[in-house]
Amino acid sequence: MNSPEPVNTMTTRPSLLEPGKNLKKRYRTDLWFQRIGITAIFLSLAFIALLFFQIISEGYTAFIQTNILLEVEFSEQAFAKENLATADYPGLIKKSLTDTFPEVKSRNGKKLLFSLVSSGAAYKLQEMVEANPKIIGTRQKMWVAAASDVDMLMKNKIDRKAPEENRRLMDNQLAWLDILKSQGRLEKQFNQTFFTTGDSREPELAGILGGVKGTALTLFITLTLAFPIGVAAAIYLEEFAPQNHWTDLIEVNINNLAAVPSIIFGLLGLAIFINFFGLPRSTPIVGGLVLALMALPTIIIAGRASLKSVPPSIREAALGIGASKMQTITHHVLPLAMPGMLTGAIIGMAHALGETAPLLMIGMVAFIVDIPGAITDPAAVLPVQIYLWADSPERGFTEKTSAAIIILLAFLMTMNSLAIYLRKKFEIKW
Amino acid sequence: MEIAASRMTDQAFPIMNADILAEEHARLHARPVDRKTVGSPFVKNPRMTCRNVDVFYGEKQAINKVSIDVGQNQVLAMIGPSGCGKSTFLRCLNRMNDTVSSCRVEGKVCLDGIDIYGPAIDVVPLRARVGMVFQKPNPFPKSIYDNVAYGPRIHGLTRDKNELDEIVQTSLVKAGLWEEVKDRLREPGTGLSGGQQQRLCIARAIAVSPEVILMDEPCSALDPIATARVEELIAELRAQYAIVIVTHAMQQASRVSQRTAYFHLGDLIEVGPTEKIFTNPGHKLTEDYITGRFG
Repeated sequence: MNSPEPVNTMTTRPSLLEPGKNLKKRYRTDLWFQRIGITAIFLSLAFIALLFFQIISEGYTAFIQTNILLEVEFSEQAFAKENLATADYPGLIKKSLTDTFPEVKSRNGKKLLFSLVSSGAAYKLQEMVEANPKIIGTRQKMWVAAASDVDMLMKNKIDRKAPEENRRLMDNQLAWLDILKSQGRLEKQFNQTFFTTGDSREPELAGILGGVKGTALTLFITLTLAFPIGVAAAIYLEEFAPQNHWTDLIEVNINNLAAVPSIIFGLLGLAIFINFFGLPRSTPIVGGLVLALMALPTIIIAGRASLKSVPPSIREAALGIGASKMQTITHHVLPLAMPGMLTGAIIGMAHALGETAPLLMIGMVAFIVDIPGAITDPAAVLPVQIYLWADSPERGFTEKTSAAIIILLAFLMTMNSLAIYLRKKFEIKW
Repeated sequence: MEIAASRMTDQAFPIMNADILAEEHARLHARPVDRKTVGSPFVKNPRMTCRNVDVFYGEKQAINKVSIDVGQNQVLAMIGPSGCGKSTFLRCLNRMNDTVSSCRVEGKVCLDGIDIYGPAIDVVPLRARVGMVFQKPNPFPKSIYDNVAYGPRIHGLTRDKNELDEIVQTSLVKAGLWEEVKDRLREPGTGLSGGQQQRLCIARAIAVSPEVILMDEPCSALDPIATARVEELIAELRAQYAIVIVTHAMQQASRVSQRTAYFHLGDLIEVGPTEKIFTNPGHKLTEDYITGRFG
């Protein structure tokens, strides 16, 4: 206030037309910050795109499968015995192949010829006969799955020009395949097997349905346990619990549990659910219980945060006209907190969906062919299925691995969009 | 330059030296020694009676031995500087302070002769009989109809839909909102203007037919026109209810109330008929406050 020199004030005052150096520097900082942000976003998008491109380009071929058209004679004498299950179905396939290539006489040559067709083809014949016994005594044309090596050849994953000793298919096999192809009896078709069967040792017979169903059953258990328990715990801790050292201790522990490595939960599940309670191993019920334990802290923390964010004025309004505490919560607080709780639940479930480590501990890593029908049937889940296939040496499982990842991502996206839909439905406009 | 500056302050403010300021500050912010409330805190046939009410937040005492009556069919205004405890005291009257875990109330608060802090008292019916309107309009994020119907529904006041419709209509008519909203009862209450929202909150409070209505600065978030509308409404409601209103605006207190109570740092300094408080206050602090020397 004391004697400000007029000249002084004029020089320090920034000109509107010519901003000083200082201002330019400030703007430059802004610009740099923006650039760094945009670069970060661009990089992460690029990596996601690369990931998707890699997985899809590697995996889409698993959705098609090379099939061979065979003409099989269901001769009467092959079914002489009463029991249809004991008939020699592989023999029928072999007969059909030798009829097609009568020139193959040697034992070794026949072995190579028979290996062109998948071992699953015989089961297909059996299913056909059992479904319709009238076809006995007729000749039927049918598409059967080719062996995985043939499939790989058709998908250009086996190099024809490689020396014969380094190749999975011999020269005469290639010749037979070329003949079949020229006759239109070798074709790539939609791979129904992949979507309708469980795991298999043979890549061309392995399917994802077992993993999908196992995952669905496991997540069903997880959701039905973790969501109600988590929401109830969040409501109690946030609305009813007294503020004392005990609740502080509980809060700290819940926060810590959210950061515990997931394999620890697997050990817990092994010790408690399997060894102590004697639940069957490798089953969705145990997997679901373990994953529910894992998802609980996330759901509780998100639930408490969303309860906290409900404005106190709504509680006061309800209490002020004589609603009881529970009415205030169920009629007013919970509907407003529900979108946030659902978000928490879906984050927890997404974690649970991708979790492999704890499931290894409770035996869900076992090789299971059957498709689980109930929560107490042994089952595989998608991430474990991916792990198992990625571990298999056969060339054919490489594409299956990527295809399973695609299915897992699709599962995740379906779950997320369902959650977004529910959240939008529950969301109350202010 | 120095001379010029001091001349400026000369014109703008009366000369006040630091010692006088400190003395003044000490006088206004010390608890008065004479604890006896000036004026007439008691009325004939009171609806609510408060005797020696103390309120503590943990160790801190927020209200100190306050005794006052709330009369039927009249508006009691509670004024005082910020933090003087008037809102705290208001919330004692329907036990809204119960939600604050550190809050403790001592003394006697009676509704029609029954101690509302008694061991057999349930707060749910109490709050139905002593309704409350809050500072910020807080309609539920539901339709206008459901906002008003919520109270009667949870208290089971109606037997069928027609009765509920009737209660909703009469409450909205009483709150002076019916004409504005009768064609859009199904639209959300949060879509109304601030003044309409506050009248909706009043309708919601009177839908459960309370006997006393507590209003905690009901107009502080409203513009002057909406305020005038709510003040009119308060004057109309006085015919049926006992009303206690906390307000920061002294003009509002003088316009709407019949009795005024002046609170200062947790003490009830003076109570009396509104015109007396505003024209001939009996206590120095009241006079200082209503003449605008502090606040």
